[in-house]
Amino acid sequence: MTEEIRDDFYEITAAPLDVGAIARRVVPASCGAIVTLDGFVRQFTRGRETEYLVYEAYEPMALKEMEKLGAAARERFAIECVTIVHRTGRLEIGETSVVIAVAAPHRRAAFEACEWLIKELKSTVPIWKKEVYADGETWIEGAN
Amino acid sequence: MTKVSVLFFGATADEVGDREVDLELPENSRAEDALARIVERFPRLAAHKLLFAVNQEYASGAEIIGDGDELAVFTAVSGG
Repeated sequence: MTEEIRDDFYEITAAPLDVGAIARRVVPASCGAIVTLDGFVRQFTRGRETEYLVYEAYEPMALKEMEKLGAAARERFAIECVTIVHRTGRLEIGETSVVIAVAAPHRRAAFEACEWLIKELKSTVPIWKKEVYADGETWIEGAN
Repeated sequence: MTKVSVLFFGATADEVGDREVDLELPENSRAEDALARIVERFPRLAAHKLLFAVNQEYASGAEIIGDGDELAVFTAVSGG
């Protein structure tokens, strides 16, 4: 089996995310759709108001896990290219925390892969979120 | 003895009061034994459901820990 050169891209950064630029970083000639998730900081969670979030990552392991997810997504779905970028540090309400962009020849596979990738990311990639409220703060512990 | 470093993140870093500690383990310790020893040293960790990684891979518990390995103890992830 020949090793194809892929344009997949995985990054963890403290810098603000430019969703449009990340989504269109690669526009493969064989593709006709890019589905992008723009995950951003929610102000109200289960009725409680968040002032801001702090994200922390185990960076080298998180990047490895993202790469595994991208490879697994390409096995499961008819897609060409995966981009995942997650931000760390303090994020204000409405700021983008994660971008997942999936390019595919046809849209359906890209939608399905994008949904699958965010679900998997939330259970396997070692990144944690602290919710800071007016009267306290909590590190959120995932379901898994 | 086997010398390793143990990394903590988020809630586990808060409980331990440190982000990285050095640890000495008996030769040929398994990952699950290493985790038990870490929780013994930092009992506040026991309040959490913990995940454990060895050299940046999730550990099953059976891995044999070697000199210089990077261990990490953290709670269920919550990125996204």
